[in-house]
Amino acid sequence: MAETLLDIIQQSINGLMYGAFYALIGIGFTLFFGVMKKFNLAYGPTIMAGIYLGLIPLYRWKAPMWVVFVTCVAGAVVVGFIVELACFRYLRKGHELAPLMTTVGMLILIQETVVIVTHAAPYEYPNIFGDESLEVGPFLIRPDYLAILISGLVFVVLLYLLVQRTAFGRAMRAIAENPAVAQLLGVSVSRMNRLTFALTSALGGATGYLVAMTFGALQPGIASWMTIKGLVVIVIGGLGSIPGAICAGLLLGVVEFQALWFLGVGYRDILAYLLLFAFLVLRPSGLMGRPAT
Amino acid sequence: MDYYVAVLSIMGVHILLGLSVYLVAITGQLSFGQQGFYAIGAYVAGVCTALWGTHLVPALLLGMTAAGLIGFLVGFPTLRVKGLYLGIATFGFGEIVRLAFLNIKYTKMVGGKLVGPNGAEGFRHVSYIYDRGFTQVQYLAVIYAAVIVVAGLVHLLERSKLGAKFRAVEEDEMAAAMAGINVTAVKVMAFTSGGFVAGLGGALFVHYSTYVDHDMVALPLAVASVTYPMLGGLGSFWGPILGAAFLIFLTEGLRFLQEFRLVIYGALIILTMIFRPRGIIDEAVMMRIRSLVRRKGAPSPAA
Repeated sequence: MAETLLDIIQQSINGLMYGAFYALIGIGFTLFFGVMKKFNLAYGPTIMAGIYLGLIPLYRWKAPMWVVFVTCVAGAVVVGFIVELACFRYLRKGHELAPLMTTVGMLILIQETVVIVTHAAPYEYPNIFGDESLEVGPFLIRPDYLAILISGLVFVVLLYLLVQRTAFGRAMRAIAENPAVAQLLGVSVSRMNRLTFALTSALGGATGYLVAMTFGALQPGIASWMTIKGLVVIVIGGLGSIPGAICAGLLLGVVEFQALWFLGVGYRDILAYLLLFAFLVLRPSGLMGRPAT
Repeated sequence: MDYYVAVLSIMGVHILLGLSVYLVAITGQLSFGQQGFYAIGAYVAGVCTALWGTHLVPALLLGMTAAGLIGFLVGFPTLRVKGLYLGIATFGFGEIVRLAFLNIKYTKMVGGKLVGPNGAEGFRHVSYIYDRGFTQVQYLAVIYAAVIVVAGLVHLLERSKLGAKFRAVEEDEMAAAMAGINVTAVKVMAFTSGGFVAGLGGALFVHYSTYVDHDMVALPLAVASVTYPMLGGLGSFWGPILGAAFLIFLTEGLRFLQEFRLVIYGALIILTMIFRPRGIIDEAVMMRIRSLVRRKGAPSPAA
């Protein structure tokens, strides 16, 4: 009994740390939705492309890890711009599902391009935190998971300051509230769209770098995996709500780790999807979202 | 020759998938979950012939019905949400089905071989048509008989009052409801019939390929099946047929493109959405075709 309890706590710790990653992906989606009122299903591939680009300086010039990190972020931003250009800028108005389709197209396009370029071989990603777990009382804490949690907190604080304290953040909130009025008041919506793309892509690149390290090896499949996790998080958390995305990400992390430990790997994803389904049916507005209109 | 028979067989199955997405799409709902119904149809029909030793026809019917019933059951909760949410919900459904088949083990020794859904190993040795001495060409005829029946039914549906209701719900749900159309019933009907058609496609596929596994019904199949009506057009049932035929021929028929299949799909989706958001055969094209035909005084086209 006591051991089961310890297991539950251990897995909750792991889940919370890992859930910080889900929360960050969800925040990317949610910021995006807040400004554009659209889903960007190509967000996962954008991140994936960024961290693959980060491999180039690493493998070609044995560059130090901070260069890799910067390349990841810059690469994700560049790919983000391509996504914006191809999937959003030239769409005609009045076709609600068109951006959903273009970003699905982009998801497949980017993922398959990486498959072809890398021959789908996994690439090793060096873990700068080593694999010695820290012992805290009876619990083990993986240093790379801890790094995700800590950087997640840092990112959230930075984002909070950006959204609440700067002119950019004010413009962003204005558009989220009412795009037409924001435009009347002199906010350039198209410029804000591009800046939002840059911001979410950079956040994604930084998050992706950490995730690639905890994985140890990089495979193109993580693109759709990240998109799916991001969607699950924003549906559970509520569209457009940053606190919702954080709670939902942590919740998803904990649920997945408990399922992994007690039911086995085959049931982890099923449980995540059932959670998604339950929220869609019973509470479509999510934990903290406004009621869907 | 055999190679082109194989391409045509796959094409037939994918036309059914495209039609199943189309049936849901003409009520204004976009489903990324038809591959789930396809998987159910494939597994159920495969179990019928390979494990229970039934004839092919009841197996196809049972596979199709199972998928349709699940479509009916899933339809009710799922259709409370729409648009973007529905896309996610249906994809979630497809993934739940896929992951369920990743876990299900139900095997028997038949004729010295281990047959049946075997978790991650997949479902092997659904060899009914080859054991009974069907040739590939004969089975191709079976597939296209099914395609013609389904396409004919969709055509009838579109010309019927019910079809007009489908379109009305797509155009404006609120207005349709005000006009006395039971919007939920229409949507559930569309979802159920889509489930039937996708299930039939899966049931036909598993007997052709003798094999199905969870990897075959993942995201790429979802994207492919949505691409067919989106590219071909939402103006007529010819849209998904044309879309599936064109894309399968492009990527299977021209072998060197095989590796780039999904890249081509992705690029085509983006280009179509930018230049022709309702696909190649959209409502305007259909209208022009109809008025052309009418001006010549010919009877309405068989198509």
